Amino acid sequence: IYTKEFFLERLSYWAFVSAAQTLRPIKPPASHYLVFLFNSVSLSPEYSLSTSSPHRSPPSHSHRCRTCNRWCLSLLTSSGNVRLRDLKLQRDAPWSFLAVGAQLVAANPVELAVGNVVRRVLHIIREEDLSLATAAVAGLDLLDASDDDEDVNGKGIGYPGMSAAVVAAAARSTLRPPSLQTLLEGTPESATVPYTSSSGADSESKTADKSSITRKLKHDVIEGVNQLIHEIAGCHEQIAEQAIEHIHQNEVILTLGSSRTVLEFLCAAKEKKRSFRVFVAEGAPRYQGHLLAKELVARGLQTTVITDSAVFAMISRVNMVIIGAHAVMANGGVIGPVGVNMAALAAKKHAVPFVVLAGSHKLCPLYPHNPEVLLNELRSPSELLDFGEFSDCLDFGTGSGSPLLQVVNPTFDYVPPSLVSLFITDTGGHNPSYMYRLIADYYSADDLVM
Amino acid sequence: MADTTQKPDAISAYYQTRAAHHGVITSDWLAQAQAAVEQPDSSVSGLGPAKSFNVIDEFNGWRKQPDLAEAVAAIRAMAAVIRASEATTMMELEIELKKASDTLKSWDKTSISLTAGCDLFIRYVTRTSALEYEDFNSAKSRLLERAEKFGEISCKARKIIAMLSQDFIFDGCTILVHGLSRVVLEVLKTAAQNNKLFRVLCTEGRPDGTGVLLSNELSKLDIPVKLLLDSAVAYSMDEVDMVFVGADGVVESGGIINMMGTYQIALVAHSMNKPVYVAAESYKFARLYPLDQKDMAPALRPIEFGVKIPAKVEVERSARDYTPPQYLTLLFTDLGVLSPSVVSDELIQLYL
Repeated sequence: IYTKEFFLERLSYWAFVSAAQTLRPIKPPASHYLVFLFNSVSLSPEYSLSTSSPHRSPPSHSHRCRTCNRWCLSLLTSSGNVRLRDLKLQRDAPWSFLAVGAQLVAANPVELAVGNVVRRVLHIIREEDLSLATAAVAGLDLLDASDDDEDVNGKGIGYPGMSAAVVAAAARSTLRPPSLQTLLEGTPESATVPYTSSSGADSESKTADKSSITRKLKHDVIEGVNQLIHEIAGCHEQIAEQAIEHIHQNEVILTLGSSRTVLEFLCAAKEKKRSFRVFVAEGAPRYQGHLLAKELVARGLQTTVITDSAVFAMISRVNMVIIGAHAVMANGGVIGPVGVNMAALAAKKHAVPFVVLAGSHKLCPLYPHNPEVLLNELRSPSELLDFGEFSDCLDFGTGSGSPLLQVVNPTFDYVPPSLVSLFITDTGGHNPSYMYRLIADYYSADDLVM
Repeated sequence: MADTTQKPDAISAYYQTRAAHHGVITSDWLAQAQAAVEQPDSSVSGLGPAKSFNVIDEFNGWRKQPDLAEAVAAIRAMAAVIRASEATTMMELEIELKKASDTLKSWDKTSISLTAGCDLFIRYVTRTSALEYEDFNSAKSRLLERAEKFGEISCKARKIIAMLSQDFIFDGCTILVHGLSRVVLEVLKTAAQNNKLFRVLCTEGRPDGTGVLLSNELSKLDIPVKLLLDSAVAYSMDEVDMVFVGADGVVESGGIINMMGTYQIALVAHSMNKPVYVAAESYKFARLYPLDQKDMAPALRPIEFGVKIPAKVEVERSARDYTPPQYLTLLFTDLGVLSPSVVSDELIQLYL
């Protein structure tokens, strides 16, 4: 179906790629253009005032992440002449990856998946760079050992008496988050020693080595990013594979709103011939639960639609609550569609397991300090009230200028980690208190603040 | 007075030092001062008979400075050991350091940061020597340099913690503080410098009187302060937005050991759904796992009631308690913001 969103996305992507290829290296105006495009794609379906399609669901998170990833990929491939440092970490160079990533994050801070993907790619870049650096140092070590005429102390600039193994170990420690082990060490300059040593000598073979290192780095990073894209695309199947372990015969499942992950999870269990019932809370004011109920019935599942307010009344008849998340924070807290906090509290009161499904790209390394306000979006009051009937109450022009009737329409809810029983990600099922481990695996500590 | 029946070494030296920092005069301090006045010559014989260098004296000297963290004093004492040592190989030096650290630890069994600081330094020495230094003297000088730098690391750690906790202090919030922790003071100072509007409720903190001292410091920064009795915490808890405490030690389960009264406050805060935040440097992580309140080495303090107590009445003189991890929300450390379950991970990485 060729909708407006379809064309807009394809057009913007094509326009971006062609712009990137004509401008190289990418100058600052292009990065602003990138941000504008991203904003328009991610935000336009939300704010569409067309009443013809009230049930249009916005691009899902995995979709947005894939888009973001593809743009990162094209940024890397098109910037042919960008030097190693610029590619990686220059904050001041506006055409560097970090600067563009920071702009993407600043454009829509509520969409945490963007920041997650940017940080993942940065982590990939750092890892590949480090593995190449250790390989290069090892290579240099062999060179020096074989050739007696070369200056053996050339590589030890500033660190006399330190072997290459020490330098590699110190460089490796800069990649890990600061820990008790490295508390007393603390010499981050050692990571640049391989670069100074390779640029110290002025033989032609060394400069050729350096450009081949750059090419190899880009190749490795692009491979890593491709892997990331595959991971994000395949997260639904990975999560759905675990459905059979959690959903048993004759169970009653409660869910709220609509999530593609939850849909595929339930259908996977259905295909393995488990018979169970699903209660769907409709998820006012967008009523996405209605869509989910329709899909579930199409796949042959017995479904019951209830209002959000009836969740507490029905919870005693439910065996498990399964919801999809918008984002998972580092302390194990969950940002989900509005209403899940209520469902979580009801589940806790009746000792019903509360299971959250989230792909690993939704794992955010930040700790929420005021999530109800800072990580929430307030949408249009038109979803709740009809302007025609309430125009006199909502009018800003009369009286003192501020109307007596206010409408609050938040998009998200924060569920504290104590209410969540289990997280099911594409790597398996985890406790909320285990989230910090996954985050330490996927992200580097330097990228937390962009 | 019940205090005269106790042996002098039953009093925890760690808490004595803290009382000395706070300028609290207690009966045992008076007794020591009396003894010192009566026998001026015996104070000179604090040095060991044969060795001209005593690590315990060195440590005590460093510890007396009020702004220095306990672990920093321990590591400075170890640095002094390295300087005074006549070892010629790394193995010998390691053995000397191990002996010094054992002496320090046995001298004051109740101080957790001392134990943790010694263990951290020994661990660092062992790992450094494994990295094949060609030259012993350069290795020794490097160890000395890192040990001296540790004081800076400690100050930097406090600044990092202050920076991390700024997001969690919002305008118009009320913070409950218990005990006088230099880290928490740094946090509040930084928040005041960033022009955040908040007010502080501080508990009286008997018997150390930390409440009055803290309110002195905070009123210099123009932060509105209200003093509470220790028993008034539950009464005031509904107007509190968050609780901030420091820690004497962070144990493996993620719980903390802190001044007496912290457990009580954490329980009340938990029952009223208020977050409890702990500000602690990472070198306070210790390999302890207390299962209940009495599971630690007892740290006793003399407590004054101001009136005479009958001889048969016992007094609970423990200076600290253990707060289990389920009552803590987050720990702010120089390793980042951590939830209590991360602590054991860090410790495992270091020690295994």
